[in-house]
Order: sequence, then structure tokens, then C-alpha cells
Amino acid sequence: MSKFILNIIHRPEMVPEYAEKVTGQGKKEDIGRKSLLTESLDIFKLQQEIAHENGFKTTIQMTYASLFNEEAVQLAKEHHEKYGDEIGLTLLGLPCKEFREKYKTKDFCIWMFSMEDKKSIVNDVFEKFHEVFGFYPTSTGSYYMDADLTNYIKEKYPMVKCAVATCWEEGPKAYRTCNNSWYTLFDGGPWNPWIPSKANTHAPAANAEEDSGIVAIPHLSRDLLACFDGNGSNFGTHPQNVLRGMIYKDGEYPYLFNLIDQYKSLQKYNNGYAYNMMFVGPGWMNKMGRWEAPYELLVKSYRDGMAYYAELRDKGEIEDMTMTEFADWYRVNKSYTEPECALWKDILYGSEKQLFWYVDPYLRTCVDMNQGGALIDLRPYVAKLEWPVGIGTKHVQDASYPFLIQSMYRAGYFTHYAGEGTIKSLKVSYEGEEVDLCLCRTKGKYSKKGKDTILTLDPVEIEFSDLKLKLVTTFTFTEGSSEIKVSRKIIEMSNPDAKVHLNEYMTACYGTTEYPEDMCGITLRCAGKEETKELSYNYKCREESVSNATKVEAVVPQINTRVSLIPGSTGMEGYLREGYAFSPMFTLGLTKTISNSEELITCLKLEKAD
Amino acid sequence: MSQAGKGRLNYRCPSCFMRDLDIDMFYDKDTEEYYCLRCQFTGKEDEVLKLNEMARFRYKNLLKRITDFE
Repeated sequence: MSKFILNIIHRPEMVPEYAEKVTGQGKKEDIGRKSLLTESLDIFKLQQEIAHENGFKTTIQMTYASLFNEEAVQLAKEHHEKYGDEIGLTLLGLPCKEFREKYKTKDFCIWMFSMEDKKSIVNDVFEKFHEVFGFYPTSTGSYYMDADLTNYIKEKYPMVKCAVATCWEEGPKAYRTCNNSWYTLFDGGPWNPWIPSKANTHAPAANAEEDSGIVAIPHLSRDLLACFDGNGSNFGTHPQNVLRGMIYKDGEYPYLFNLIDQYKSLQKYNNGYAYNMMFVGPGWMNKMGRWEAPYELLVKSYRDGMAYYAELRDKGEIEDMTMTEFADWYRVNKSYTEPECALWKDILYGSEKQLFWYVDPYLRTCVDMNQGGALIDLRPYVAKLEWPVGIGTKHVQDASYPFLIQSMYRAGYFTHYAGEGTIKSLKVSYEGEEVDLCLCRTKGKYSKKGKDTILTLDPVEIEFSDLKLKLVTTFTFTEGSSEIKVSRKIIEMSNPDAKVHLNEYMTACYGTTEYPEDMCGITLRCAGKEETKELSYNYKCREESVSNATKVEAVVPQINTRVSLIPGSTGMEGYLREGYAFSPMFTLGLTKTISNSEELITCLKLEKAD
Repeated sequence: MSQAGKGRLNYRCPSCFMRDLDIDMFYDKDTEEYYCLRCQFTGKEDEVLKLNEMARFRYKNLLKRITDFE
């Protein structure tokens, strides 16, 4: 298969986010202002015109506000007839006179409402849609769709097949970039389409029983490296986001095309399939310009982006689909347990840095080749964590899927002065010297063998005072296993008789943000053939170890997760380390002394704790 | 001195932009300067433009078309 699929989505947002704030500067707030409504509709028309000029069909996601606008409704009907555009319904763009009068709130993000209001809003918008068009939509969406919301929609409107359900790594970084005022906190999901589980939108369903009934698509196709350590809103298939990042010069932005091309290149890691989506809200093309980008540049970038997609389509390299067409395609061509992989290269900063992203129904992780193959992100999807969000729940805004490892939020290898950060890596010791693979820059190669996804790293060289060695790391992800097998093999030594000590370790915690959570309640355990040692986390900086280890594990009840390291051979020592208040982490490790040509195999396993 | 408003374009603070913060600046028409509400930056339009250029220093591949993604 060779398939690069494109979804183009437009929404007639009668009161675009940003636009009231920007165009209304110096005026009293008035979301019914005629000039605002006219301009909003004009932008939608222009976006539609650009897509159609390039021969694309779109998915028109009607907003609640637009359902009260005769012209918007008429346009949607005409474009459906003439161009084959799908008429869907978004839960973005709720604000309008009618909404404010009924709900008496300025809230506009569907996932943040109380469950009672979510149901009422869904009923209102779906019924209004039906009243206007005479049928129910088969696609919907928002920046985030929490599981309870999706489950309710599927129960009430089972015809819905597809939804925009998250925006990749839009969380604390986006919040901070927006002067701590943009509350879209939903890190930790997949970057490409997936079938969400009924329990948690981020976590893909492992089987039909867990299937929420929709195919989820991300809001935009994001840069998998730049967004992990930067403002996500600068790096995506959203031309005006690229301008926001100032990633252009003299009206040229090759980065946008590089990004599209890199997404296309992901076919080789996903059985020939790749995906892209463009979804620009009208607020990004308003006549006042957007920040320092004038209107003309905003429009030019949209035209150029669409023209590039058309160029690819004309070469037979991309195929446009509506959201529902895509959902149907996805259901036929993808299985629940097939992983989504991306060996992603830096295409902006010139670093040659490479990350490997992996998602399946049991875990999401990221391997950083620039740190010798360290795991810098780990989300235990296997827990299928029930995490209600919105008013009246414990998480009014925070919809992120918790991590065990997130090296940007909770440090990684490098910490200031004291303590440790979250990372999984290997330490190699020889006669009192120690080297962490985090300091060995390398590259990785992807391969596939049956159900195994294999990432093989180029050999790294480790230099001690009187010994040099080369070591190769291989990661194996077996479909459906909820495990990552890690092999560390010494392939060369300057002294063939030397023995080196390998320490495969994982330092972790849990959370969704940069700030520490209470670690009390976590149980750390190391089990050996002869004995088992266990401690309950209490910030006491304790350590335990066992010889002939069979398993070292942590049970983190706060996220219903059990994480363990399991030896792939006998004779390993297992250890655990509790942290302390200034280092609220735990470390699990397996160690062994090996010689040239020998290999240390360990397995990281994730399980639901209860 | 009357209140500040928006200038010709809605410039962001270049100093904040370089620390990943998007902060709109306001324009003081008496001094013909943009200023940031959050940090201490003030500057005329030409200085803002110059600093926006500088902010692109990290994008070494800003103008490079990439075809190899291995």
C-alpha cells in the first residue's frame, strides 16, 4: 500500500477565537458585531474557494453559531452539491448570542463544561443541525473530545464516525506560550489518527470492546520534534502557525512543505500509510493580520499550502478525503493493535537530531537517538485511565494523559545541582568510571519483522581511561505485548578480556505537568529467586537490591499503572531507589557484568495495576 | 499622556518571543514606541523588526528545502 491521505477542514466560525480580541481592540465586547460576522463568513468563503480552485473537497464543520446564519447554511448546501464537500458539525465555535443567552456563560471549550451541560449542548447543536439540514452529521470534533463526551455522542447519535479529538502536545507548553491564559491542556495523545478507547480518548482501543466507535483525527499534523520542546502552535500543517513561529523569510516558508513531506515519508514505517490534515480557523486569516503577519501574507500562505497539496495530488502522491470517507477507509485498512510509528528527523534547527515515536493501545513512547536511545516520554495507555474532565470533576481543565517519563517537564539526564530526572537509559561502568548512554549521540534505523517493530541504533563508542568499546542498542516492540524489549550488545572492545558493568535503569514519576505530584502511595518492589524486597514511597531516599532478580517494579496507584523491568537472562541484580523531596522520582534498575560480544536483554512492561 | 493602543501591525514582544512567549505589545503614540506589559522591552518599529530577524537564529534550516528524511 502507498497511501498519503489528506483531510481539509473548514469551519464557518461566526465569532472566531482571537478575532474579537484582536479586531475589537478598543471596543466594548460585542460578539454580535455585524462587521465581525461578515468578515468571519468572508474568510470561510475564501478558504473554501482556495480549496475548490485546487480541486479539493473539504469537510465543512458547521459551528453552532453558523447554524443560525442563513448564508452559511446555504453555502454549505451548495458546496456539498457542487464539490462533494461533507457537511459535519464541530463543537468549536459555540459562542453566539443564542448560546450565551441559553447557557449564560462565556465558556466555549466543550470538554470543560459539566457533564450535564455537555449533554445539553450536544443535544442542542445536533438537533439544530438536523433542523437545518434534515440529517445528522457523521463527523464532529473539537480541540479535545473527552471520553465521556464521545460516549454520549455515540449513544445519542450513533451515525457519528469521525471526530477531531485532540491536538498533539497542546498542553502546558501552549498554555505558557499564551501568557498562561490558553487552557488547552491535553498532552499525551497520538499524533496521527487512531480509534480512541471508551475509557480515555488519548489511549487507543485494543479491541472491539474498548472501541469508542469513532475514528479520531488530530487537530493538524504537528512537527514531532519541534512541538515536543516548543510552542506546538508554531509547528504544524497550518500555514499561519508557521508564520506565528516566524519560520519564514521574504514570504517563503519551505518548512511548511518540508513538514508535509516528512509526514508523507512516514509511509515507510506504517505499512505504506501516511496522513495529513489542515484545519485553519477563520481567526487566522482576518483582515487586521495576525500579529506581525499582514493579511496578504496570511492568505498567500494558505494558497501556497493548498497549492502544494494539489501538486502532490497531481503527481498521484496524495489523496483527499472527507472526514467520514477517511473514517471508513481507516476502519477497513487498520487493525486495533497495529502500532503507529515515526522515525522523525529535525527539519528546522539543523541539528540532525532524530526521535522515534511509537504508539499502540498499550503505550506511547519516544526514543531519543541524540541521547543514545534514551526513552524521553512514556505514557501507560494500558491502564486505560478513566480521567473525567470538565466542571464538577477533579480535572476541570487538565485532560492530558499522565506520563511516567517526560524528560522536558521532569528533567531527563541533566538536572541542576541535585536529584534526578525522568529518563530510561543505560550506564556503563569500568574500574570506577561510568558513562551514561545519554551522552552518546547516534542514529536509528527502523525495520519490521512479523509482529515486531525494531529500532536498531548505530553503534556508540564509549571511552574509558584504558578501555574503548562499541555498543549496539536494539529496541523491539512486539504488537499487542505492552512491552519494550531492549538489547545492549558489546560488539567491540579494545581489551577483549575486559568486563564491564551495565546498569539498565529507568527513573520515573507520574504527572501531567512540570510540577511534582505526591509520590506517597507508590509501591516499589524488587523480586529475586531467593527473596523479595518492597517499600512504600515516603521520600526517605532508601535503596534495596536483590541478586538473581526476576523483576523490579513500581505500582503507581494514582495512574493505575504497574511498570516493571524484567531480566532477559539469569544472573542480574535488581535494585530500586526511592527519591526524596528535592528529587521526587523512583528508579528501577537491572545490572550485570558482561564481556565482549555479550548482550544484556531486559524488558520494560506496562500493566494496568488493578 | 493618553492610553496606549495597537500599532500598524500587532507586534509581539521580541524578547518574550525568544523565550517562547507570545505577548502582544502596545503602542505608545507619544514616544512612538512599542512596549511589553510583561517584560521590560520597549522599542521602535525598526528595532522590533530587527529583533524579529534575530529571533530566527535558531532556525538554521529556515530556507532549506529538505528531501531526505532518513
